[in-house]
Amino acid sequence: MTTIPLVDLLSLSGALFALGLFGVLTRRNFILILISVEVIMNAAILNFVAFSLFSPGPAAGGIPGQSIAVILIGLAATEVAVGLAIVLALNRLRGTLNVAEAIQLKL
Amino acid sequence: MIVPISAYLPEALALAGALLTFLMDAAGVRQRSVVGGFSVLFYSLALLSVLGDLSVVPFTLFATVPSSLLSAGAVGPIQFTPLGLLWQAILLSAALLVAFASLSEAEGDREVPIFYGLLALATLGMLLVTLSADLIFLLLSVEITGISTYVLVAYARKDPRALEASMKFYLIGALSTAISFFGASLIYGAYGSTALARLADIPPGGNGTQMALVGLGLLMVGLGFKVTAVPFHMWAVDVYDGAPDHVSAFLAAGSKKMGIFAMIVVFVAAEDVVYTASSAWALYVALGGLALVTMTVGNILALQQRTMKRMLAYSSISQAGYLLIGLAVASPAGLAGATIQAVAHVLMKGGAFLFVAAMATLGIGSRIEDYRGLGHSHPVTTASFAVLLLSLAGIPLTLGFVGKFYLFASAVEKPGLFVVLAIAGLLNSAASVFYYARVLRIMYMVEPPAEATSERRWTPAVAHLADPGNDPSAPPSSAPSAAVAVGESTPRAPAKEAARSLDPITPLSRSNLGMRLRDEVRTIGIARWTAIVLCAALTIILGIYPTPLIDLANHAANSFFSGLP
Repeated sequence: MTTIPLVDLLSLSGALFALGLFGVLTRRNFILILISVEVIMNAAILNFVAFSLFSPGPAAGGIPGQSIAVILIGLAATEVAVGLAIVLALNRLRGTLNVAEAIQLKL
Repeated sequence: MIVPISAYLPEALALAGALLTFLMDAAGVRQRSVVGGFSVLFYSLALLSVLGDLSVVPFTLFATVPSSLLSAGAVGPIQFTPLGLLWQAILLSAALLVAFASLSEAEGDREVPIFYGLLALATLGMLLVTLSADLIFLLLSVEITGISTYVLVAYARKDPRALEASMKFYLIGALSTAISFFGASLIYGAYGSTALARLADIPPGGNGTQMALVGLGLLMVGLGFKVTAVPFHMWAVDVYDGAPDHVSAFLAAGSKKMGIFAMIVVFVAAEDVVYTASSAWALYVALGGLALVTMTVGNILALQQRTMKRMLAYSSISQAGYLLIGLAVASPAGLAGATIQAVAHVLMKGGAFLFVAAMATLGIGSRIEDYRGLGHSHPVTTASFAVLLLSLAGIPLTLGFVGKFYLFASAVEKPGLFVVLAIAGLLNSAASVFYYARVLRIMYMVEPPAEATSERRWTPAVAHLADPGNDPSAPPSSAPSAAVAVGESTPRAPAKEAARSLDPITPLSRSNLGMRLRDEVRTIGIARWTAIVLCAALTIILGIYPTPLIDLANHAANSFFSGLP
């Protein structure tokens, strides 16, 4: 059985991280920013899975990487649930999801 | 070593408080006195338990952490340390302060249990942070608090300002979480484990060290957002400004301290042990630079603010900079200083934001000029606020001075360039006196205009929201329409304007001090009044006689360092 080399996996996660960060910085729509943040989160999850394939295993102590990945998937879902609740409230109250229009608190 | 289940008493109380509150909501029990009363009771028991564990109070019925556990090191992802317990007490005090003061808020329908329930969940997360011995456990606990506070900011759903604050808070918070976890994944890759104790090991050579450093850097960014360190501070002012006042108090007093503690357990171990040999300078310079920039920029921007809450928010940022000195120095003295300053910060920022909340419910505007003459009309609370401001500025005989003194002294003691941090801190403290003194001058030296006392409290945009037909004899806490006004208008809206305007402001004509005091307590609310005065009193008492606190902080900091491998 051949495995994917670690470098490939890390390159992918690095690319995802960069893409997500780029999206956060350039997008103006709340939902698109949310998606970009989740892309960064997925980069982290991918990293944990990738490293757990090549780590010395549970002997090193702590929580194994694949378990962390599962926990993080749950966390990401929780976070999105709260985010979408805010989206709903915002949309009802203002009728727009453009974050550039959120300027009430600026002086 | 097996941790007895009773050792988790404070956490269990916070969790039980949250669940009970949501159950009460479902059962339709929504009176503030009942729901809030339970929260206050639970936090008090938890605080009593932690203080008993620390042997601060002789009452040890609830002291449930066996002392052998304190030196046992990590048990899985959990670790009981004296430093953690001390910070647990600090964070619990913040939660207790806010929960107690909120008893004076107006009644609301579902908002009351939602507020207290989310507050309890956020507190649970903060308490778990102090027990962390594992990076993932730590970040997940931070996230429990994070998610609770995103919602907490917007719990008044109809308020567009609060919703905007929540949106900004959420986006920045989610981004910082994602970045933190990415950093954690790199650390996991470098060490093969996420146990915090491993950060104190020598990192694997070559690529591993690079990866660990990048991971720590990303963690610094992620946690830097939480503590409002300066390049990552933009959200903080808007959030503190837009959030309901009591939530701002909780964010500044509670969740920021939690971020600082998370940074302590992640970075101080790494700084002290690992990188002293190889690339020590990278971490030291990064943290020191963060401290330097944070306090300076926070102060400069605070000087320019026109509204009280934004001024306090920027001063809170600069206070985070002082706390970061303790991390940058990474010595037992620095850690003890940061701990003392954290106690001071809870009292100062908690009390100050509660004062702003009290003034807002009286219908006093949000601009700093709106506070003119308060020293005459509300003598006791204004004096308390003045004490808190002096403490923020670091005037001697206040706890703020003690904390800063220890922080700066630790920077001077440490050989190397750390003295720069002390000098910068001193200059910043001096500069900060300007904007605190300006507030004092306005409150005490400027007379309120004799006519138009009621007009000046009405900002035109929100004047129509107040209900002029309110019963004059009703004490403000029992006016149910006030909650509606709070929910639907800006937090600055004169929610209890009706009650206030019918209580004519005649600061000079009414000379009877007892009457004035009774009026003050009645309009502000007994719980909130007590909380503000208590903050100021503790600031002074601990400022004059800080020895027990200093001993406690020193003991905790020393044990943290002796616990390192």
